[in-house]
Amino acid sequence: MNLPVIQAERLEKSFDGQAVLDGLDLAIAPGQIVGLLGTNGSGKTTLIKCLLGLLRPTAGVCRVFGEDAWDMSPATKSRLGYVPQEAELLPWMTVQQMCDYTGAFYKHWRADDVQSLICQWQLSPDQRTGALSVGQRQKLGVILALGHHPDLLVLDEPVASLDPSARRQFLSTLIDRVEVEQNTILFSTHITSDLERIASHVAILRAGKLAWFGPLDELKDGCKRLRLYFADGAPTDLDLPGLVRWDRHQNHAVVTVASFDQGLLDALHRRWNCDVRVEDMNLEEIFLEWSGAAEVPSTVATEVGS
Amino acid sequence: MTVQPSQFEIHPSSGIPIYRQIIDQVQALIVGGHLHDGQMLPSVRAMATELGVNPMTISKAYARLEADGVVERVRGKGMRILRPAVDGSAAQRLKQLYPSVESAIVRGRQLGLSDKQILDLIRKVLRENPL
Repeated sequence: MNLPVIQAERLEKSFDGQAVLDGLDLAIAPGQIVGLLGTNGSGKTTLIKCLLGLLRPTAGVCRVFGEDAWDMSPATKSRLGYVPQEAELLPWMTVQQMCDYTGAFYKHWRADDVQSLICQWQLSPDQRTGALSVGQRQKLGVILALGHHPDLLVLDEPVASLDPSARRQFLSTLIDRVEVEQNTILFSTHITSDLERIASHVAILRAGKLAWFGPLDELKDGCKRLRLYFADGAPTDLDLPGLVRWDRHQNHAVVTVASFDQGLLDALHRRWNCDVRVEDMNLEEIFLEWSGAAEVPSTVATEVGS
Repeated sequence: MTVQPSQFEIHPSSGIPIYRQIIDQVQALIVGGHLHDGQMLPSVRAMATELGVNPMTISKAYARLEADGVVERVRGKGMRILRPAVDGSAAQRLKQLYPSVESAIVRGRQLGLSDKQILDLIRKVLRENPL
């Protein structure tokens, strides 16, 4: 197994005694494209900042290419590209000046590449960055992070302000890079359809921990919604392996499980002799199930009618 | 005439993983007579770029097709279709078709159609798609 590119071990981060990250473990291997999902305020940005050494963990440790993130060498930093939620630009510089200025910090800056991205993404080199729209600023932020061809690219909500065609352009640039250079990407987003196109892995952040981390295909193959129909009333207790959440009704139950397979189906038949309908779920639905789920599965208040 | 990436229709937001959609569509193209043995699949790169999906996803689909004996890897050239994928006994193949037919019938009943109406529709669709 290759050394993880980026890693968190028992990471904790609190603000004013309020825990945002609560003993989180994560290890991203080279070549993985990881989409980070979480509701607003779940700590995606905090996690990203801790991973990159921009915030000091309350406890635990983060490593980038094996080095402590809080104390990274310049050589390691030069292998990183980071796009913050709001690109930090110097408003008096033009797009071109901003690129040249950023490039001056890097040994292996590819000015020609940057030039063609500016052109492809329809930015005008002579415009002052202070006059750019939010979407244009975001584009420039991405270009600045790609200019030195980083081995690890970390993006915090990179596409939130981009229009659909700009998003597709952005995705295809990433896809090109990944194909040719095998680099590693971590990005947070709310737009699950983008994530579904390019992510190899998904991390779902909930209650300060990763509720799920693994290959996207495995998540889609395994995470299913089951409708169980019971001949003589739904049981009050349903302990299934990998249960995400369930709603109990009189004679049926709607159940979400993380890893559905034939074994589980057989077990359901054996134990409750129930009729089972299996539904596929897309990432958005899966995300809603995970993020809406309480730690302990709760039953809906249908008892009244029974 | 070889198959183009644009002949594939990918729904990233479907509940079915993209690699499976590609596998299913390659098999459908073969069954439908649009892909013959000896023809090549588009390159991983062409597929990834055209469909806007992660190249690893395409590679995975191709690797599965190779493992299933649908295509073979030709060094330096790509993936070549092996033979029409008619595998297994008739009973096994019928079993594969069963869920699709079942869900169509359930849907038909939901729409309040009679058994005869459903059967007539199936016959009509069969007529419209000659072998």
